[in-house]
Amino acid sequence: MTAIHLENLVKRFGAFTALKTMDLEIRDGEFMALLGPSGCGKSTTMNMIAGMEQPSEGRITFDGRDMNGVAMGRRGVGFVFQNYAIFTHMNVYDNLAYGLKVRGTPASEIDRRVKAMADFLQLTPMLDKPSAKLSVNILQRLAIGRSAIVEPAIFLLDEPLSNVDAAFRAVMRTELKHLQRQFRQTMVYVTHDQLEAMTMADRIAVMDHGVLQQVGTPLEVYNDPVNLFVADFIGSPGMNLLKGVLADSDRGLVADLGALGITAPIDPALSATARKHGIREVVYGFRPERVVLAGAGQGIAMPVTFIERIGARTVVHFGDGEQRVKAVFDNDVAVQTGETVHVAVEPGFARLFDAATGVAIREV
Amino acid sequence: MNRSLPFEIFRYAAILLALAVTLIPTLWMASMAFKPIAEWSAAGADLTWWPKSPTLDNFRFIFGTSTSDLIVALDRTAGKPILASLLSAVFGTLIAMTAGTAGAYGLSRFGSGQNLPLALIQLRLFPPMAVMIPVMIMWAFFGLVDTWWGLALIYGIVTLPFAFWLMKTFFDDMPREIEDAALVEGCSRLRVFMKITLPMMRPALASSALFVFILNWSDYLIALLLTTREWVTIPVYMASLSSSMTGQLYGAKAALGLIAAVPPVIMGIAIQKHLVRGLTFGALKQ
Repeated sequence: MTAIHLENLVKRFGAFTALKTMDLEIRDGEFMALLGPSGCGKSTTMNMIAGMEQPSEGRITFDGRDMNGVAMGRRGVGFVFQNYAIFTHMNVYDNLAYGLKVRGTPASEIDRRVKAMADFLQLTPMLDKPSAKLSVNILQRLAIGRSAIVEPAIFLLDEPLSNVDAAFRAVMRTELKHLQRQFRQTMVYVTHDQLEAMTMADRIAVMDHGVLQQVGTPLEVYNDPVNLFVADFIGSPGMNLLKGVLADSDRGLVADLGALGITAPIDPALSATARKHGIREVVYGFRPERVVLAGAGQGIAMPVTFIERIGARTVVHFGDGEQRVKAVFDNDVAVQTGETVHVAVEPGFARLFDAATGVAIREV
Repeated sequence: MNRSLPFEIFRYAAILLALAVTLIPTLWMASMAFKPIAEWSAAGADLTWWPKSPTLDNFRFIFGTSTSDLIVALDRTAGKPILASLLSAVFGTLIAMTAGTAGAYGLSRFGSGQNLPLALIQLRLFPPMAVMIPVMIMWAFFGLVDTWWGLALIYGIVTLPFAFWLMKTFFDDMPREIEDAALVEGCSRLRVFMKITLPMMRPALASSALFVFILNWSDYLIALLLTTREWVTIPVYMASLSSSMTGQLYGAKAALGLIAAVPPVIMGIAIQKHLVRGLTFGALKQ
């Protein structure tokens, strides 16, 4: 139950800058996901919160207390590692008891809490087993239990589900959320899997190349990405992004989508911003889920190049080369590969980005 | 997998050849150790593969309790050299393993002592004779010549690089996260090393120690140069088992050789479990 504040955090490894000036406020009891591709600096950020790495610049505070120079064992954080880091020379019981033993907890208390935690994580049948021979799924559960048992105020998880199988991942997503509700810790969760971030996090911090791109609730980053990176990275498939040029017309400002041979009207509020900043080259974006089939003569006429069945829904790929569009439809959609269909974007769901900077154009 | 017949024949022939090269000398030594003098000396009637009339005479001889017709009288028995070998090899191994493990851990985890690996190996960069002369002078100055502790010290020094390099590879392979997991719980560095790292390294420690022990146990040159009388080791003592009258005392040498093979074999059996595990070390899913 601690708020974490990162102020102007910079981390350099020699000449390489892993993290560039990061500011982030993680609220007390919040589930914050650090999301981004490999090498974006999310693990480095996490390691600095834990105290495994020292920041090159800036500072980290827990409830206002400066953590600079505080050893990781004294920060009151729990850490779950991607490779579990189970003490394989001990059995399951001793692994769970370890943190309590180090803290000098009385044996009877250790026993009570180990049994309660084993019960919660369904590890009771394995308490006496040597941990070296457990399956990946159980190792992961054990790793979470070993950190959670000391009830740390801050719980840090570094891609804990990346090695477990898909079915178990779904179970653990629910259990982790459940665990957090029960213990009310501040949770920081590093992942490259947007599904994990979306389903569990209260807020998501999207990172790329050592730069924090956007912080917001899952729906905020999904609906209103602040730049092209977030637009493309969030969502599966990501946002459709088409190059265009703004032009005046009798309908007001429109985006001329070049290769597609059509112009798309621009929301008046966005037009004002674009005019104010003198932006002409733009990227016109819309979610594949917001593409609808339109009648003949309406919308954009595009050839269907590929149909991808993903189970619950169907992804239809249109066009090729520069101007490609993906759309997500229900499975009964009546399109076939090769035919040309008219598609349109649901009104109000188009987003506009400045092509030069990649930044979203928003209402002023 | 299905293999062709010629390949199988070739495979087993190769295995047999390898076994023959390694096992026949050992078996020959074992056979020789139980032969009476007539069967191993050139003066005897005929050489046999297997002792015709097995005897423990060779063993009695080297321990000075022989009653039979081995003509020479030994000026000393094998007891003290065995003790010398045991003490110097065991303590030499302890020195090398302690210092080597500590150094390897420091370099692997903290990157301190970048020049250490080369500095450690310099005693091996030159021919042994080149470094042994200064060592002899130093040991003489400190009064360490012909003592088991002097021998243990030099054994510890010359096998330190092996202990160091072996342990460093094992430490490099051990995921740091395991230590971080304990550190984050508030464990001190020293406690992490003693309670987490070393116990997990047990297979690595065992196999490295066996390797270092065998190196020390089988040394001849250093012991020859640094001991004179009191604390000669088994190999040095073995070389002295000859006389102008009888020539090489093959039977006695074989008996001593058989005894000398016992400690490494016992150690090997004791840590066999770890040796197999040492190969599959890496207890974590990466």
